[in-house]
Amino acid sequence: MIELRSLSFCYEGSHQPALSDIHLTIGPDEFVVVAGPSGCGKSTLALALCGILFRQFEGQASGLVTVDGMDVRSRPIYDVADVVGLVQQNPENQFCTLTVQDEVAFGLENRCLPRAEIEERVAWALQIVGGEHLRERMLATLSGGEKQKVAIAAMMAAGPRVLIFDEPTSNLDPTATAEVFGVIADIRKKAKILVIVIEHKLRFLEPFAPRLVAMESGRIVYDGTLAAWQGRSQDAGTRAPGGRLAIPGSGARRVQGAPVVRVRDLAVERGGRTVLQGVSLEIGGGELVAVMGDNGSGKTTFLLSLLGLLKPDEGCVEICGLDTCQTPVSRMARLVGYVFQNPDHQLFADSVWKEATFAARNMQILDQATEVRVSRLLERCELLERREEHPYRLSYGQKRRLNLVSVLAHGPRLILLDEVLIGQDPASAAFVLQVLRGRVGQGDTVVMANHDPEVTSRYASRLLFFEKGHLLVDAPAVDGFEQLRAMGKDAYLPRG
Amino acid sequence: MRRSRRARGTARIAYQPGRSILHRLHPLVKGAWLLVGTVLVFVVRSPWAVDGAVAVLLAASVLAGLRLGRVRGVRLLASTALLLGVLQVAFVHEGSALVDWGPLAIFSGGIEAGCYVAGRFLCVVLLSYLFVLTTEPSDLAYGLMQAGLPYRYGFALVTALRLVPVFEEEGQTVYCAQLARGVQYDVRSPRQLWNLARQFFLPLMVSALGKVDTLAVSMEGRCFGAHDGRTFLREVQVTRMDQIALGLLGLVAVAALVARIGG
Repeated sequence: MIELRSLSFCYEGSHQPALSDIHLTIGPDEFVVVAGPSGCGKSTLALALCGILFRQFEGQASGLVTVDGMDVRSRPIYDVADVVGLVQQNPENQFCTLTVQDEVAFGLENRCLPRAEIEERVAWALQIVGGEHLRERMLATLSGGEKQKVAIAAMMAAGPRVLIFDEPTSNLDPTATAEVFGVIADIRKKAKILVIVIEHKLRFLEPFAPRLVAMESGRIVYDGTLAAWQGRSQDAGTRAPGGRLAIPGSGARRVQGAPVVRVRDLAVERGGRTVLQGVSLEIGGGELVAVMGDNGSGKTTFLLSLLGLLKPDEGCVEICGLDTCQTPVSRMARLVGYVFQNPDHQLFADSVWKEATFAARNMQILDQATEVRVSRLLERCELLERREEHPYRLSYGQKRRLNLVSVLAHGPRLILLDEVLIGQDPASAAFVLQVLRGRVGQGDTVVMANHDPEVTSRYASRLLFFEKGHLLVDAPAVDGFEQLRAMGKDAYLPRG
Repeated sequence: MRRSRRARGTARIAYQPGRSILHRLHPLVKGAWLLVGTVLVFVVRSPWAVDGAVAVLLAASVLAGLRLGRVRGVRLLASTALLLGVLQVAFVHEGSALVDWGPLAIFSGGIEAGCYVAGRFLCVVLLSYLFVLTTEPSDLAYGLMQAGLPYRYGFALVTALRLVPVFEEEGQTVYCAQLARGVQYDVRSPRQLWNLARQFFLPLMVSALGKVDTLAVSMEGRCFGAHDGRTFLREVQVTRMDQIALGLLGLVAVAALVARIGG
């Protein structure tokens, strides 16, 4: 079905080829997983298979790409689109309309199909993803998992013979992730098409016993079964791409003393809706706290409340004895560092160095000691040599590290992280976690919203689990997982 | 230690789903009422006619089940209308004096002018609110495309409608991220203002460019632009009710013009 021969591609302005001499043959009914670190060429490979790479992106291409006997490089994109569908990472960004029905019908309407046929195909596509009940809904009102189901239905409606998923669950919580992989399994069963999934979360794919194609630096470094690759990686003492993090060690310890965080009966409303209700807890110095829960359960609201960016509608929040209602955010920011979810939303300066010292300059505390600390942090994050470069020239993983450096630079006591591991390959994620563990070891407190049970199990001393704005679990991580198990929240449990 | 600061939340100015007659009218018919109605408000000279129109529009909003009071900005607009009216009452000294207490004098002409100016303002605001709150954005875009607007422009409108709340949310995130890094929003010089604007808009621009790339891939991958025309699953149809609404608009327009010409 798919044949790649000596495929290479180098984006304009780049010295490194994104794809280098790729040879790959895939049969019509296969289930293939493409894995590898960020920037290894996985997404470029997906774009090449759709033909979009050769039409929309400037660069030098060579080699052969055929799908279903069609030379993708020489055919119009629309011909290829009849055979290959691509579901991208963030469903939100790929929607072209405002309602579910319009979105699923969009591609069919563009193909000028008659109304009756569109009606039939929309119903079929929604049925295959289990989304018939969503048909009349506005896209903006859907949950993350529902949005991704609609994005899949929109592609399935065109009846492709190849469906490519580019990290379809990277923005989803474990419950929604399991749901989406369930949909993919159903598609495999009912539609009998070739499915290619680009994914870091290999644990969810194990039941499919897929063929694994592992990539590194634009090359294929492994092509075989997932099970064999995982076995090989363990034997060699290394890490499978997307597999478990390699850094050993127990969770952080808890330090006694005056609490860094004190929350009493916290309730917060956003947009007329109660997002948090009746939350009370204390967090001490030297704790690494993982905050888990489905998307929309109140995790981000909780973190924003700790910095004082959201004020309590009821109750109160104190950080190091300061009431967030009485203290301006600029004062709180000296005590609390906050890393937001999207790295691009928090890069404000025009060089790596200025970005790293941005907060310290704003707070007018940039002295020699801070500069030395920033230099050390940048060096540790392998960014010191790039100190004069523009932050937007960095890779995703490097941006994430820079985000971290820039909130650690002024030495906050409390570090808040909102889903910072999303989109990071295991090596980058492990690096960030190592840095955080270092801070916790020095007595700082880390509160981290996180979807990955493995990370929580390995790194966190304590687990908070939110559901519909209520704090359902607040316990040491091991006990917390037991409580989640008792509640039937299996998607949130680590393996083993 | 426990405090309560609950306040009634406000909703953004956006479509409020419903099944009222106003909701079911064709978006272009409602658009015609908005445009023609706005012009007529300035054609009509009688303050009582304008205020009557305000009363009709308020009644229509109640019948449509709209929660005007909870829409963001409504109180500010109502206060502005009140202020405009009060200013006219205070400074227009025409007609007969109704109250004359030294420096405070109210004339009948002032009352009329106040009702007229405030009424005009409220009419335009209410017409706009009724249109936005009862019209599903998709219906408007698809209605325009089915009325002959080239679909490329129609989907530019859909994309804009879709991305406005997304960028609003992202702007809020960037603002929060800046506050979290000690940025102070007290601007003391044009240079500071420039720096703040640059720091605020750069992340949004980068995010927007990323979104455009993703969207382009998504549209191309679904054959957008492959043909000169396209078909539509959703049909925004003109009903008997729309014809009546258009007829009524015609009558109102004629009556307003006759009243104006007749003096």
